[in-house]
Parts: sequence; structure tokens; C-alpha cells
Amino acid sequence: MIFLLQYDRKLGKLCGELKRFTASERREAQRERLTIELDLHRTCVSRDVVLLEAADEETLRRTHQRYFKTPRELVESMMQPEAEPVLP
Amino acid sequence: MWGYVAEKLSISQLNKIGERLRKNLESEEDLRLLDVFRSSFTPAYQEVFDHLSQLGLKPGGREGKTTLSIRAKLVRERTRLSRMQDIAGCRVEVDNLIEQDRVVDEMKVRWPCALIHDRRVKPSSGYRAVHLVVEVDGLLVEIQIRTSLQHSWASATEKLSDVCDPEIKYGGGPEEIQKSLTEFSNVFAIIENVERNYAEVRAVIANSVMKGKKEVDVLDENTEKLQADLKATHEGLNAALKKFCERFTIADREGSQ
Repeated sequence: MIFLLQYDRKLGKLCGELKRFTASERREAQRERLTIELDLHRTCVSRDVVLLEAADEETLRRTHQRYFKTPRELVESMMQPEAEPVLP
Repeated sequence: MWGYVAEKLSISQLNKIGERLRKNLESEEDLRLLDVFRSSFTPAYQEVFDHLSQLGLKPGGREGKTTLSIRAKLVRERTRLSRMQDIAGCRVEVDNLIEQDRVVDEMKVRWPCALIHDRRVKPSSGYRAVHLVVEVDGLLVEIQIRTSLQHSWASATEKLSDVCDPEIKYGGGPEEIQKSLTEFSNVFAIIENVERNYAEVRAVIANSVMKGKKEVDVLDENTEKLQADLKATHEGLNAALKKFCERFTIADREGSQ
């Protein structure tokens, strides 16, 4: 699944909705990404407009957690059970 | 060798776009052409993403680096747009160092000529991971392989760079934050190496048991010590992290606005 998102770095937050596309809609997702980027350029708004891909949203939220979690959540995640020792 | 020419762009045109991006003077046409360049990586990216998926690695992928990230890199590294090796990339998270080594080996089988950047051996401003740059039909795709601990550290650092100071990611920014992140990175490296040593000892024990050797008792004692060391290190780390959170009370933007 392909995801289109806008991210404001200084705020550390997503802007607007997370749009979802199937793999067969990749071209459409790319066109929409460019359209948003050009609109932002015209209005001098600085944002990341990015297409990401993962098998599902849960995986995406894990592999690209920077976009979805707050600074505090990410620092604290280093203490979560998943960071506990995994003894083979 | 790594040069690239998109169907509708020459290297020279591409680098001129990069120069305008660097100076924040890009036009709409530049952004359209940059998108052509970015999209040209899609087939190569897809091949890599599909391969990682087939191996059951649950990759996250980004088929094109964002314009802001490209601009930041052009400013920071004085590189040329045509020479960037990470326009397209995939990321994989694994449990531990042993698994990380195994995945790297699998990648080397699939892409024997891959460039390997082992940032566990030489961390980049505290960042630890293994990056491979593979070539597919003349195009480069970066694969980031991170353990869970490495990924947690990298994600927190990226976020702090976003909201506090972009230099944090590159070893700069507020000294106190940088010092803490460096300490965490070092402790994570110790934890991961203890985990690996522990697994190796366990393997020796298992092998000895199969052979009925007396060394098993000695090895068991070592294992207990390793396990105790590991737990103590984790406890120390968690205490340090709690202190870090309390000290900085990092702005949770949602809460502070």
C-alpha cells in the first residue's frame, strides 16, 4: 500500500489526512504528490510531501515512526518493552 | 559508475536544478523536472521493495527523497544532485545484530556489488545501522537495515532534529542533547554486543551439550554472568533515559499548543 503524507518539520506534525493508494494507483499517487508540492511552492509553504510504501499502515507507522509520533513518545519508546533485551 | 541520466534530463540539466534548489531559487518547472528524475527511480525501487517483502522483512519504502531533504543535503554536503545515492530507499527493522548480519548477507547474495556502509563499526554522529547501496538497471537504491534499538535511537534523533535543531542529526545542536544522544548510542552498542556474545555462548553450550562435554558447566556460569551484565546495562539505560526525559521535558507539541 502506498501512503501520501504532508509533514511540517518545525511542528513535527502531519498536516492533513494520510492518503492511501493501492500499488496499481502509484501513478495517481505520484501525480497527486506533485500537485500538492506545486501548490505549496506557489504559497511559499515549506513542507515535506512524501510517498511512502509498506504492506500495511501498522508497518508504515513502525518503519517511519518519526512522522507519526511526538518527540516525547519517540524518546520514551527507547524504554518500551521492544527495547528490552531479547535473549536468544 | 554511479552516474545517472534520466530519459528527459541530462546530468548537466539535473545539476543546474540542484544548484537552484540549493539556493532556494527553484522554479515550478524545476520541481516538475525533479519529479521526473525522482519517478525514474520507481522501477528500481519497486524491485528492491518487492525483494525485501518476499524475504518476509516487512520493509518500509520511500520511492523518492523529498524536495526538502534533497535541498538540505545539497546545502550540507555540497554534493551534486546527479550523485545522490539515496533518492530511493527502503528500510528494514530487525531484532538484533545477529539478524542484521544475516539480512546483510542475504542482500549481498542478491546484489554482490552492493556498496556497504557499516555504521556500527563507524557510527555517524552516534547513528548506527547498516546501509547498502544497490544498483538496479543503472539506478541506485539505498537499503537501511536497523536493529530495533538502532531504529528507536535514529527515530528519536530525527524527530529532535525536526523540532529542536536540524544540526542534532549531524552531531551539532544543543550540547546537552547531543551528549545524551551520544551516551545512549554508546550504551545501545554495548547492549547489542552483549546480546550477540550471549547468543554465541548459548550456541557453544548447545553444541557442547550435544557432544556431552564437561565444559558445559563452565559455559553455563558464563552465560549467567552475561545475562546479569545485560540486565544491569538495561536498567542503567532506562534510568538514564528517564533522567533525560525529566531534564529536558521535551516539548510535546500537541500538549504545549
